[in-house]
Amino acid sequence: MSADTPRLRPPRHRVDKRAVWWWTTRSLAVTVVVTAAPVVPAIIWEPPRTWFLLAAAVVGGFGLLITVVMPQWRYRVHRWEVTDTAVYTSSGWLWQEWRVAPMSRIQTVDTARGPLQRAFGLSSVTVTTASAAGPIEITGLDQALATQVADQLTDTTQATPGDAT
Amino acid sequence: MSDEHRPNPEESRPTPDGAAPAAEDRVRPVPEAAEGVPAEPTGAHTGEWDGTGTASDTDSAPLGEGAEDTSAEEDPPHDGWQRLHPLSVWASTAVAGVFLVPAAIVGTIVLLATGHPWWALAPLPAALAFLALMTYLDMLRLRAIRYRVTAERMEMRSGIIAKSYRSIPRERVRSVDVAAPLYVRIFGLCSVTVGTGEKVGAGADQLQLLYVTAEQGEWLRRDLLRRGVPASAGRSGETAGTGTPEDGEAELARLDRRWFAYAPATTATLGVGLGAIAGLVGLNAQTGGVGWEWVSDQANLPSVQEMSSFVMRQVLIVVPTALLVLLVSGVIVLTAVAVETWWNYRLTREADGTVRLRRGLLTSVSLSVEGRRLNGITLHEPYVLRRSGGADVRAVATGLAAADDQKTSAKSRLSPPMPRKRALALAADLMRTPDSPLDVPLAAHPRAALRRRLTRATVVTVLGVALSGALAWLHTLVSEAWWEVVRKAEQEIIPVPLATGTVEATPSWGWSVLAVAIAAVAFWYAVGSYRGLGHGLHPRYLVVRRGMAVRDTVTLERSAVIGWRIKRSPFQRRLGLADVAATTAAGQGMYEARDVGLGQGLAWADEAVPELLAPFLVSGGRNGGEEEPPRS
Repeated sequence: MSADTPRLRPPRHRVDKRAVWWWTTRSLAVTVVVTAAPVVPAIIWEPPRTWFLLAAAVVGGFGLLITVVMPQWRYRVHRWEVTDTAVYTSSGWLWQEWRVAPMSRIQTVDTARGPLQRAFGLSSVTVTTASAAGPIEITGLDQALATQVADQLTDTTQATPGDAT
Repeated sequence: MSDEHRPNPEESRPTPDGAAPAAEDRVRPVPEAAEGVPAEPTGAHTGEWDGTGTASDTDSAPLGEGAEDTSAEEDPPHDGWQRLHPLSVWASTAVAGVFLVPAAIVGTIVLLATGHPWWALAPLPAALAFLALMTYLDMLRLRAIRYRVTAERMEMRSGIIAKSYRSIPRERVRSVDVAAPLYVRIFGLCSVTVGTGEKVGAGADQLQLLYVTAEQGEWLRRDLLRRGVPASAGRSGETAGTGTPEDGEAELARLDRRWFAYAPATTATLGVGLGAIAGLVGLNAQTGGVGWEWVSDQANLPSVQEMSSFVMRQVLIVVPTALLVLLVSGVIVLTAVAVETWWNYRLTREADGTVRLRRGLLTSVSLSVEGRRLNGITLHEPYVLRRSGGADVRAVATGLAAADDQKTSAKSRLSPPMPRKRALALAADLMRTPDSPLDVPLAAHPRAALRRRLTRATVVTVLGVALSGALAWLHTLVSEAWWEVVRKAEQEIIPVPLATGTVEATPSWGWSVLAVAIAAVAFWYAVGSYRGLGHGLHPRYLVVRRGMAVRDTVTLERSAVIGWRIKRSPFQRRLGLADVAATTAAGQGMYEARDVGLGQGLAWADEAVPELLAPFLVSGGRNGGEEEPPRS
C-alpha cells in the first residue's frame, strides 16, 4: 500500500463481549442438530452404521471447529459507530462487510431481541434505508445501549433534512 | 368521459377516515417499534414536500366532506371515491370464456365420440356455471374496490370480508404504468399500476387498478406525476377534458423497424445456429450426398438392421435439420416477440420532465417515470448483441422495482435493442448531460482481479478434464462389455437410435477435444470478464461496468447514492481486492464495482460522494492491527 491510498479505519466501538457467547451458543445449536441427523439412521440400520457415524464425525468436527473459531473472529471484526452524519458498521468473519449510511437517508430504526439474544441480555439495532441492499444491522449490543443508540439515531435522523430516497 | 369520473350517488360511500391518514403521515419512526412490525416508512420523510403537503392537507379535508355530504353529480373526479369500470368484470369473463367454452365443447365432442352421451351433457353447463360464479365473485370484488385521488394522496379500499385500505402520498409516486392488453383494450379499458420507491415487503410498493377507462388511465398518469402545483379541482378536470396531452413534449426516440434485426441476436440463436452450421459442414465432408439418398429411401421404411447401418447418416442429417428448424423458428419467435413488445415504440420527455415510454402491439404499455427519479441508465449488452454492434438502454429509477433483479431490469427497459451508437446518444439525452457519462474513460481493475478469474478458469478446466476422463473411461467400458446390450436396449425404446450411434462413432480420444474446448472457453471467458470490469466518475454520475455474458454499464447519479457497502472474501483480502457497492433507492438498489483494488475503490467512492465516506478513511501506510483480519 502506498502512502496516499485510503484505507477504512475500523468503526469505533466493539460489540458487547457477551456476543461471543451468543454466537458460540448459536453455532453449537446448529452443530448439534446437523450432527444428530446422520446419527439417527445409524442407530436404526445395522449395515451402513460406520458410514453414517463417519459422516456425523466429519460434520460434527467441522461444526466444532467453526464454533471455536468463528465467535472470536467475529468479535474482532464486528464493530459499529454512529456519528452525527452517518452510521458505520463492520461485520462478518470469513466474508467481511463494511456498511455506511448517511443520517439523511435513514428511514426507520428498530431494535430487536430474539430469545437467544435475550438470554444473554443482548439486543440488535436495525437501520433501514430506501435501498434494496438490505438494512444495516448492529448485532450483539447490550440492551440498554441498544435502546440508547436507537434513540440517538432517531433524534439525529429527525434533525437531519432529506427525503430518505 | 366525464361520467366515468363522476361518483354515482348511491355508490359513493361516506368517507369517515378520508382525512384521517393525513395525520398519520407525520408519525415518526419509533426506535423501539415492536419486533417485526416495520414503522411507517413515510414517517422519516421530511422533504420539501412537507410544506405543500401540510397546506393542501387542510384544503382537502373540507373538500372531501363536501363531496360526501352532497354527493353531487358534478363533482370533479378526484373529490369522491370512484369505482373501477364495471366492464372490467366482463373483460376477465371474456378472457376466461375464450379458453373455457371451446375446451368444454371439445370435451363434449370427445365424450360423445367415446360413447358417454350422458356425461357429454356435463362440460358445457359446468363451464358456464363456473364462468357465472367467477363473474359474480369478480363483481363482488369490483363493488368493494374504491379509489380516489385527492390533492394529497391516492387511496384505495378493497376487500369484501377482509377489508384493506392502502394509501400512497402523492409525492411518493415515482412511476405510473398504464397497460392495455388486447382483451382489455377491446372494452376501452386499461390497468394502472402506481409505483412508489418503497421496499417494504413484497408488493407493498405499488397500487394497481384493474381496470379503468383509457381516458381515466391517461388522466391518472398525467395527474399523479404532476408536481409543484397542487392539483386543484377545476384545473385537473379541465386538463382531463381538453385532451391535448402532447403539449411541450420532446421526443427522445421512436421506433426504427430496422432495429428488429437485432431481435434474434441472442446466445440461444447463436448456439443453435453454430450447431446447425457445424452439422451441415460435417454432413458435406463425411457423406458426400448419401444423406439425401437416405431421405429418398425414407418413403419405404427400412428395417431395424438397415437403420442401424444408416445410423451415422441419420445423425448427420437429422441433427442439423432439427437445429436448422429450431433456428428458423427461434428467429421467427424472437422477432415476433420483439415486434409485439416494441411496436409503436416512442420515448418522450414531457414538459414537466416526466419520461414517458409507449410501446406494444397487442398489449399497449405506457410507462411514465418522474424525471427527477430517473437516477441513471444501464447500457445493457448481452454477448451476441454486443458482437453485432447493438445495445439497449434501461432505466435506473426509483419506483420500478419488481420481485427480483431480473424482473426489475426487464421492467426498466427504455428501448429495444438498437445500434450501440444510437443507444449511447439516447442515454446521453436521457441523462441530460452535454458530455455523456458513458464516454468517461473507465479505470481498469488491478491485475489481481484477472488472476482471480484465471484461477476460476483453471478450476473449471480441471473439472472439465475430470469430466472428459470419466466419459472416456465410460466409453471404453461400454464398448468392451455391453455394447450390444446398450444398442439393443436403445433400439427397443427409441425408433431412431441416435445416441448409441454417436457414441460408437466417436473415437475415445474425441473426449480430449471436449476437455480442450472447455478449457479454451473458460480462459476466454475469464479474460473477457476481466476486460469488462471498469469504474469511473463523471461530474454528476458514477459509472460501473462489468460482465462478459451480459455486459452492463451502469451510470448512477452521485446524489442518489444513499450509502456504501464494501465486501471482501478471504481471497479478495489476500489479493488486496474488494467489492465496493453504492447503495441507492433506484433500480436494483445496489451497484457494484467488483474486484476493485481496495485503495482504488475507496478513493473512487470517496470522490463520488465526498462527505459520506471521508470520516471513516485513513490514508494508507499505517498497518492498523484492528482492520487487518486475522488470517488462519
